[in-house]
Amino acid sequence: MAPWKALTVVGLGAFVLIVLVPFWWIASMSFKTYEQIQFAVSIYVPRPFTWENYTGLWIDTRFPLWLRNSLVTAVVVTVITTVVGSLAGYAVARLRFPGRQSVASLILILYLVPPALLFIPLYRVLAELGATNHLTSLFLSYPTFTVPFCTWLLIGFFKALPKELEEAAFVDGATRMTALTRVLLPLAAPGIVASAIFAFTLSWNEFLYALVFIQDERMITVPVGLNLLIYGDVFHWGQLMAASVITTVPVVALYMFIHRWMVEGLAAGSVKG
Amino acid sequence: MAFLFLLPLLVLVVALIAYPIYRAVSLSFTDKLVGYPERFVGLKNYIYLLHDDTFHGVVRNSAVFTVGSVSLKVLTGLGMALVLNGVWRWRNFFRGLLLLPWITSTVIIALTWRWMFDSFPGRGFFNSVLIDLGVMSRPIAFMATPEGAMLAVIIANWWRGFPFFGVCYLAGMQSVPLELYDAASVDGAGPWHRFWHVTLPGLKHIIIVTILLSFIWTINDFNIVYVMTRGGPGTATQVFATYSYEVAFNQLRWGRGVTVSIFLVPLLIVGIALVSRYLLRDKD
Repeated sequence: MAPWKALTVVGLGAFVLIVLVPFWWIASMSFKTYEQIQFAVSIYVPRPFTWENYTGLWIDTRFPLWLRNSLVTAVVVTVITTVVGSLAGYAVARLRFPGRQSVASLILILYLVPPALLFIPLYRVLAELGATNHLTSLFLSYPTFTVPFCTWLLIGFFKALPKELEEAAFVDGATRMTALTRVLLPLAAPGIVASAIFAFTLSWNEFLYALVFIQDERMITVPVGLNLLIYGDVFHWGQLMAASVITTVPVVALYMFIHRWMVEGLAAGSVKG
Repeated sequence: MAFLFLLPLLVLVVALIAYPIYRAVSLSFTDKLVGYPERFVGLKNYIYLLHDDTFHGVVRNSAVFTVGSVSLKVLTGLGMALVLNGVWRWRNFFRGLLLLPWITSTVIIALTWRWMFDSFPGRGFFNSVLIDLGVMSRPIAFMATPEGAMLAVIIANWWRGFPFFGVCYLAGMQSVPLELYDAASVDGAGPWHRFWHVTLPGLKHIIIVTILLSFIWTINDFNIVYVMTRGGPGTATQVFATYSYEVAFNQLRWGRGVTVSIFLVPLLIVGIALVSRYLLRDKD
């Protein structure tokens, strides 16, 4: 068994290395001086070590504004998604009505409709509503992918909860709505938190819609702003990498918090068979 | 009752998905130019693209990009799952660590890989390593060659996507009944044999689902290619989504731009129908 053990260790080392090298590149570059980057001095470690990219990013660019826009968008979209997704997920998992199965398939199909097909016509629809060039366009368009995905996850979570608890609540004279809010929601909380974090991450990282629907530089989100940093006059790679660190850390923190639910939810949603 | 619960979802679907899809189809039959009213032109956009050399290139590039990334993801995903399956201590920790690319912003991933492949500023990662190892003496601008650029977008896409495959396959491996392995061992099967005859058949279903899902996502990818190459050099890495964007927002031909993505619809319908069949069978 020993050679297999060694192979496992080597394989694990290789995978960890493959995953970590780009992250290390980002982090290391974010702490280098402009000269160090331009002239490829001490490529592998930041020496001298500097915070100037972070301070420069914060003071000289509109990054704080972009960060605010991203945050506002992600929070609003997460709230919309959680409400719409929980209601629909509950209905499909628990209520008996004609066409229940078709709603379930519809949700899956919607989840697979690619943004690449929707961005041009959505732009026209949003423009007619007067929503373009403003974060409203993102509040309206992001749920087109977050809601199907989160509803799909939530159907699984709701189905896994014991039916008896809800029935006990009905016996005690509760209505559907109280049964949902008082009994089921607290039980489903881990699933709802996990799906909310998914919605948050998806909006936080979205690029195509944000690029197309908003031109005003004060209204754009972080991913679009990062692209502006390199297509400006000067290549601010150090600042760009600092921005990448700042943008990635909150998502990784959230993710560590839900990693287990997330993996189980994913596995239950896409793999079970 | 159920209708009330589903109402918000239905409003969203009709107003922001179904209606735009209808608009996309009707737009593809017009010669809509930004700033001009649209005129019905029938199948003109479709016929134009069928004879357009750039579009032929787009189809080829998309095929190379998609097949390349998806097959790499399947192979390394299997490798990752096998390795994690053999790790007992800290398995959850390593699974979480290896999933990091999957939650990181695609734009950041694309920017980073672009720089790692490029020779400017500084020397980029691959140039630095290859020079320091003595493999070459001067930096190569990988991103400036058609093959290098295509390789770079495939690698970046692979890196982002393989952890998802790995996690799915790991979950699948853990649901293969242990008795099957025991029975195989009793029959004298070695590790390689057990992998071929027990593990792989047990994973068949998941492998098909992940390939289908990833195929749909990858052939529609915009972010990686747009950020890394803008479809260049020339049109060497132009794929469906980036070409559609280019035609609609740089050439301002919306009718034709939307037609580019509509060419993918038949393929999408087949893909979605297959995935639904596999996934919905499990749901109940």
